[in-house]
Amino acid sequence: MTNPTDIILYDRLMKRKVNGEFTGSIISKCKDKIIFSNNIRISDDEGISIIQGLLVGFEKDVNKVIAVSKKSDFLWKNLEEDILEYSVLIPEDTMEQYDKGQFSDDFPYTLNLLHTAGLLLNAPDNRINHLDFFKGEILKNPVCSVLKGILVADRVVIDDKGDPYFYDCLIIGRDEHEDLKVSYDTIVNLDEKNVDYIIILGIEELKI
Amino acid sequence: MLLFENKQRKLLNILKLTGSPFKKFVSTGEIKEDLGVTQSRQELLYKIIDIMEKNDNIILPIIGKVGTGKTHLYWALKHGFHNYNIVYLSLENVYKRFYYNTYSEFVENMGVGPLRNITNNLCNKWGATERKFGFFHFADIKKIRDSAYKEWNSYFEDKEALNDAINAITAHCLDPYKKVEAERWLLGDLMDFRDLSRLNLNYDLRKKNNAFTMLKILTENAKINSILFIDDFEKVISIAGPIKEAEEEEEVFDPSWLYGAKTSPDKITAEKTLDKILELYKIKGLRIIITLKSLEFFNEIKSKIKEKNGSLLSIVKEPIFLSNFLIDDIFQFYKKSIEYFFGGINYLDYSIDFPNSSDYYPLNKKTLEYIYNTTKGNPREIIKLLIKIFNEIISSNENIEDILKKYQ
Repeated sequence: MTNPTDIILYDRLMKRKVNGEFTGSIISKCKDKIIFSNNIRISDDEGISIIQGLLVGFEKDVNKVIAVSKKSDFLWKNLEEDILEYSVLIPEDTMEQYDKGQFSDDFPYTLNLLHTAGLLLNAPDNRINHLDFFKGEILKNPVCSVLKGILVADRVVIDDKGDPYFYDCLIIGRDEHEDLKVSYDTIVNLDEKNVDYIIILGIEELKI
Repeated sequence: MLLFENKQRKLLNILKLTGSPFKKFVSTGEIKEDLGVTQSRQELLYKIIDIMEKNDNIILPIIGKVGTGKTHLYWALKHGFHNYNIVYLSLENVYKRFYYNTYSEFVENMGVGPLRNITNNLCNKWGATERKFGFFHFADIKKIRDSAYKEWNSYFEDKEALNDAINAITAHCLDPYKKVEAERWLLGDLMDFRDLSRLNLNYDLRKKNNAFTMLKILTENAKINSILFIDDFEKVISIAGPIKEAEEEEEVFDPSWLYGAKTSPDKITAEKTLDKILELYKIKGLRIIITLKSLEFFNEIKSKIKEKNGSLLSIVKEPIFLSNFLIDDIFQFYKKSIEYFFGGINYLDYSIDFPNSSDYYPLNKKTLEYIYNTTKGNPREIIKLLIKIFNEIISSNENIEDILKKYQ
């Protein structure tokens, strides 16, 4: 676990805000959506802005929900009313660990999806579960929302029981005191019941 | 309980079972030599190391008569020079397809691990580790290739070869489905058109510019420096020597039918080989050691270099002379060889049974002095005579003192 004071740029719950311009690997949670970006600007006058971030989550499309990943600029002017929950800058040493795991040659036959797709969604009125379909497969670039946290991994493997095993994972979550923490783990196994959703990012969307 | 043991008898019995400790009197680049150099040559070794460390691109000639241990020096350098990739080249073996053969030896010597490190580091430098949206390593191979080409375009003459090299390196590092084929290409395997087209390559490394480009890339991007040790360099001259008269031998095929009367194909090849070796100065940080049999050859090679490109004479260093053994060297060499031999056959008690450094049993000091004087200290001749004496000791039923009397 890293020292939270260094990395938490904004936390609405704990009323923490660090003004300035930051670059690096930044994860922001905005309601049930996740934003990945390499920059963020925080100031008292202009609020919080992100240029060219990647928004990941589920959206309603007519009468069904679909997984989306969209590149966009973001601005939260009035933080009291806005929905940005937190923004965390992942420490460089953690990212280096994550990078090393990503370039492993041990899994050359990982499936890369071309377009972003929902693997699992545990919403009361909308359920998606494709875990059985991908049993035994290795999927690249999963993003997972779980309880109060976010899990970003290099790959996910669905075991024979249909449970997802994430490899090379970055985990952002709150502890018992509601403080935000960042950690790295080589393998994380989750029970699908605790998962809000798993989205597999498509490489075409990352290319943009 | 053993009260008394005739250690000398025991040693002779062991020798009769195992055979002579001296078997090989010619050193080659293929068979590893573990025995280091003698004391008098240690300083020479340091001198070579010092020259190598102080110069980036040089040709260092080492001159020594036949059998003085020029090839053995390669092994001594290899053992003492751990932070260098020292590649042995016998000109006789590599002068045809020079760059391809040199590259093959270079890669074999370097190993697959460092090769993979080099391709990884290059791809990282070209942007493979760039994190999209701060997180995702999306290796856009095309973008990385473009970036590599842009960086190296002005630095490499043959653009087609450069393209092939970049395609192979990026495929090796970033494309898991083509990694195996790309590694085969990088290791210098011969490849058919189907494999090449799958990798989007035009030629394998038999194409001289491809081999040269890859040699340049690997040498300049390896973490350790490289030295080419070209043995028997005078072959460049002897191959290009005067054409044999027609009467000298009956020829089934006269090369002049194809190549004209004045220049033999071997001579053309030899001339080209020298040109190719001189082209290696374009590879930054590649040091070259050449061995020659005499100063005359060195002068002739210098004049040939001057003819081709006078400015290259500045990279040719003053030669280092490898002389015959000094008298103390033969004692040291003999003792070391015997100890090494008995160590190799697990007779580890040798140093306990014969602890005195001046105990040369089964030979003696006089015999060694006789060998030195007879051979004038030439290492190869010394070994030849040692082989002869040991063979006599092992195979003859004569008393050892009587045998040694003949060699005193």
